Amino acid sequence: MTTTPMTLIESEDRREYRVTRRRDLAVDLSMTLATILAALAIGFLVMLVTGNDPVKAYEAMLTGPLDRSFRVGRWLEDATTLTLLGLSVAIPFRARQISLGAESQVYAGALAAAAVAVFLPLPPVAAVLVPLFAAATAGAGMGFVPGAMKARLGANEIVATLMLNAIVVRVYDYLVNGPLKEPGSSAVHSRSIQQDSALTPLSDWFGIPLGRANIGLFLMLLTAIALWLLITRTPLGYRIRMTGSNPDFAEYGGIRVPRAIEWSFVIGGAVAGLAGAHLVQGVYGRLEPGLAGSLAFEGIVVALLARNNPLVVVVAGLFYSYLRAGGDIMEQQTDVGTEIVVVIQAVIVLLVTAQALPDLLKRRIARRQAGVR
Amino acid sequence: MNSVIDVVFSSAFLAAVLRVATPYLLAAFGGLVAERAGISNIALEGQMLSAACTGALVAGYSGSVAVGALCGVAVAVLLGLLLAALRLELGADAIIAGIGLNLLASGGTAYAVYSLLDDKGGTSGLKSGSLPTVTLPGIESIPVVGEVLSGQNMVTWLAFLAAPFVAWLFYRTRFGFRLRAVGEMPDAAASVGIPVRHVQYAGLALSGALAGLAGVFLSMGYVSFFVRDMTAGRGFIALAAVFLGGLRPWGVFLAALGFGAAEALAVQLGTMDVPPQLVSTIPYAMTLVALALYAWRRKRRGLTQETAASL
Amino acid sequence: MNESWADAGPAVAAHAVTKTYGNGVRAVRGVDLEVPSGEIRAVVGENGAGKSTLMKMFYGLEQPSSGEILIGGRPRVLRGPGSAIALGVGMVHQNLMLVPSFTVAQNVVLGVEPGQRGLVDSRAAVETTALLAEESGLAVDPKARVDEVSVGMRQRTEILKALHRRARVLILDEPTAVLTPQETEDLFAAVRRLRDGGMTVLFISHKLREVREISDKVSVMRAGSLVGTVATADATERSLAAMMVGRDLSLDVDRAPARPAEVTLRVRDLAYDAPTGQSLHGLGFDVAAGEIVGVAGIEGHGQSELAEVLAGLRRPTTGTVSVGGTDTAGLDVAGHRRAGIGYVPEDRLYNGAALDESIADNLVVDRHDRPPLARRGVLHPGAVRTHAERLIEEYAIRTPDPSVPVRALSGGNMQKVIVARELSAGPRLLIASQVTRGVDVGAMRFMYERLVAARDAGAAVLLISADLTELLALSDRLLVLKDGRLVGRFDDTAGLTEKRVGLYMLGVEHHDQEQLTAGLDDVEPDDVESDGVGPDGSGEASAV
Repeated sequence: MTTTPMTLIESEDRREYRVTRRRDLAVDLSMTLATILAALAIGFLVMLVTGNDPVKAYEAMLTGPLDRSFRVGRWLEDATTLTLLGLSVAIPFRARQISLGAESQVYAGALAAAAVAVFLPLPPVAAVLVPLFAAATAGAGMGFVPGAMKARLGANEIVATLMLNAIVVRVYDYLVNGPLKEPGSSAVHSRSIQQDSALTPLSDWFGIPLGRANIGLFLMLLTAIALWLLITRTPLGYRIRMTGSNPDFAEYGGIRVPRAIEWSFVIGGAVAGLAGAHLVQGVYGRLEPGLAGSLAFEGIVVALLARNNPLVVVVAGLFYSYLRAGGDIMEQQTDVGTEIVVVIQAVIVLLVTAQALPDLLKRRIARRQAGVR
Repeated sequence: MNSVIDVVFSSAFLAAVLRVATPYLLAAFGGLVAERAGISNIALEGQMLSAACTGALVAGYSGSVAVGALCGVAVAVLLGLLLAALRLELGADAIIAGIGLNLLASGGTAYAVYSLLDDKGGTSGLKSGSLPTVTLPGIESIPVVGEVLSGQNMVTWLAFLAAPFVAWLFYRTRFGFRLRAVGEMPDAAASVGIPVRHVQYAGLALSGALAGLAGVFLSMGYVSFFVRDMTAGRGFIALAAVFLGGLRPWGVFLAALGFGAAEALAVQLGTMDVPPQLVSTIPYAMTLVALALYAWRRKRRGLTQETAASL
Repeated sequence: MNESWADAGPAVAAHAVTKTYGNGVRAVRGVDLEVPSGEIRAVVGENGAGKSTLMKMFYGLEQPSSGEILIGGRPRVLRGPGSAIALGVGMVHQNLMLVPSFTVAQNVVLGVEPGQRGLVDSRAAVETTALLAEESGLAVDPKARVDEVSVGMRQRTEILKALHRRARVLILDEPTAVLTPQETEDLFAAVRRLRDGGMTVLFISHKLREVREISDKVSVMRAGSLVGTVATADATERSLAAMMVGRDLSLDVDRAPARPAEVTLRVRDLAYDAPTGQSLHGLGFDVAAGEIVGVAGIEGHGQSELAEVLAGLRRPTTGTVSVGGTDTAGLDVAGHRRAGIGYVPEDRLYNGAALDESIADNLVVDRHDRPPLARRGVLHPGAVRTHAERLIEEYAIRTPDPSVPVRALSGGNMQKVIVARELSAGPRLLIASQVTRGVDVGAMRFMYERLVAARDAGAAVLLISADLTELLALSDRLLVLKDGRLVGRFDDTAGLTEKRVGLYMLGVEHHDQEQLTAGLDDVEPDDVESDGVGPDGSGEASAV
């Protein structure tokens, strides 16, 4: 019939399709690059307008983190936590659940890890593993609450996770200021964890000063690979993907959608819990007030930037942390506020979320090529 | 326990409730207007923060509190329009765009303050003044009532007037009528020739204005300076109030007032032997439970409807 | 409001109008149409014939790619519904465009609210609506919320909306699809009254009987073109049908007689109380392995609900359902699929596919967790791909690669993906709902062949369709649903006519209980005698 709807891909020409796909991929990649460059350009302008020297600032920011080995360590340590948090939201995002609960999960994980690592005497290897496990469990539990509320009752997950964040942050604050505060200390923090529970610093391995960077880095890499395998190579991952893509289709196909949603929250929570353990066992060695800072929300940005692909989250996390670390160095060296980095990040988020832009571009390229032919 | 009751019924506490509830009320109404227009405004937090910072800075440099407040509100309106443009023109997810705007506000305000005042913490070094309070001659001298009502900031009055205003706007005016239609059924609105996007832009601008007023109150009503990240999650709580209030003006009013009262209570109890952090979790825990109950009831009603029809 | 109408000339017209969509689909091609004032003009055609697109251009929802639209005798550029409304055009859409939480009156006045200085005068709105309703004979309750009134009243609300805007041209897009016969009668009466008052009515339908009843003239569209316009008095259903369908009316399906074996699907006393939509009442029927049983009915009379209950997406309130001996009434969807049920859903975009996922992933939703695709908790992408390549080959899905997202496929190809998935599972029972809706003729023929092949391979097939031609061409037996009840059962479809079935669909005739339950076990045993129907499909028992 002549009115067969012509759609994007009707031909059976495999070569042509591959070309199209490669072109789309190239557009995506260059768009990402352009996004980052545009954000940096806006940062450049902002610095210029506010009377700073952007060239000097960018020089410090972009080369600083690699300057000295301990700065590299600072970068990697930050990237470890941030990437774990990015991974933790990428999984529920894959099920199209807007979980903003990484904050509650990371603090729950930190508390659980500290409780075990400070108070429970354990043999050497178990002393590291048990707190990690406790943290993952606590984070998973914190993910389960909004997950079950959403899956079983249909309660809005955005509100539930935000409320849970507010509660856990305050309880954490209370515990660190009260019951868990190190007796006799003037500063507010908990007692230090036992020596055996600490994640081995990378400095010990490489023999160069790498600050507080520790084997948590490898834990993070392993987690990312595991999650990538989960999403692409397991039935559960398939169910999470289909649930996110079209829940009605998933249900029609026999997938128990509420289960898939719950699992996505629980897995994400466990990973955020690990991020909390990393902060306690690897970075600070104890509970500090507000120890996760704004990392939980920045994890969302990292996940978005990586389009929720676990392996890409690692790249995005490393990149994002690099900017953060560079921003600090920039501030020390040039007097430009490190907050400019947050502005740059925000611009990246806004550009990334403007989904119509790359599609517009792809269509335009396709049209132009069709015109040429 | 007696002392708690004493506190709750003291006029100072009631006055504090009105004061503390002000930003929640305004921001929640901002969230409500956006939600009913069909675009979730998770950027309330960033709008408040930007307005608070802009207000304090402009007032400090220009010497005019009014100009500062206006500029603060204007910036929040611009952010609202930006959110609408990202959603409507560029196909952005409103939630994610909102997170981006919050990030932008957090970084932008801190950077601006640091660049201008070389201060990481806020604008306490800048004399910016605060918005006038309203004393009620006559009522002022009445015990309790006078102490509670008189001497409140003008923004507090605006916040409490916002409830009837939004209710009137939604249910009495042509604009509100169309806004609700657009938010609920954009195709239906478009099919009768209502310019859907224009209405949504207007809704988001109004939403921004209300959130901006909330922000201005923080830096120019409560206190007279801006502190970094001084909104402290109020925008998110306001958003929770929008849902908790069932997307209805008076429901949202009660929910936001409840959050304000709980926070005021936490502050008061902090002076006693109760850990303030724990007290301050009460409203959030209540919201969480209410959210679950509400959802559970809705789900059960859906089921009983099915069985009822079978009779 | 409509001052700019010319005194003479047609109320609406299209001159050489062509509409090509961005993706290259030419939905309307070179149409010339003139409708004078005060006429009821039916526009008929099959799904995808371009009638809706043409109407959307009259209403400003679409703009013609070339040619011109004339309203009130003058060429117009309609940038949106707003300009069409201003020119006196009103449209009642197939999916009603009402705000659910608003009252009838509020919906009627939406966009042109009474009141001063930006306020809405709700009392005036109610009064206006009541007055309009009385004048036009379209009974509504102005103060009732739209989501709480019947579909018929919603539709009347839509028409009042147009009248309130002083429409002089009213476009009705398949208005009777969701109506009961009584409501249809009332609607027709109101439409005639409007016509007598000078209204021009464009009536879109593919139901020829209704078209003959209501219209003055009929314009027939096929494949985007206007085939012709005839006076209704001179047209017969047969002549119209011949104009409408490009293919032979008795669509040739190469189909050997069925060889039904043992009963596969057994439904007894099935009732389902729908929270919204049509409930089902006391259904009982069998489908045997190796036969295709068609389900006819006016859309919205319980077909969708029946399909979803049988597929496990909705849980029946009472009654038993068994498939191949497995009691499925209490099982979840996965349990239904394990029992051997395949289901081609009526709306493939809604739940038939995950549009943004690859063809390969879409083909495995029901089997992603077992060998050969998954072993010991590991899903093998290579196996998924091989599986997809096999089905793409077998079902002639036109695509360069299994990794192509389903969204990029045409309607026919997308449907092939779904049919491939459901048939390749080797179902005992296949529920096929609107299986050829919106697909091209090539794909349609392909679907028919596959359904018959599945039947011959021993599957029980329950075929639900709004297309009677299709039902009669494919079904070995036919059931008719009305108001969620079984009202007709034809055990021999040879020689059965659409007209005959139509009478049952409309409730003019119905089979008695005896005829409906003949041959079923577990029901009153005294009615075993009559198990056949005459070749003309009449209800009288006669041996076959």
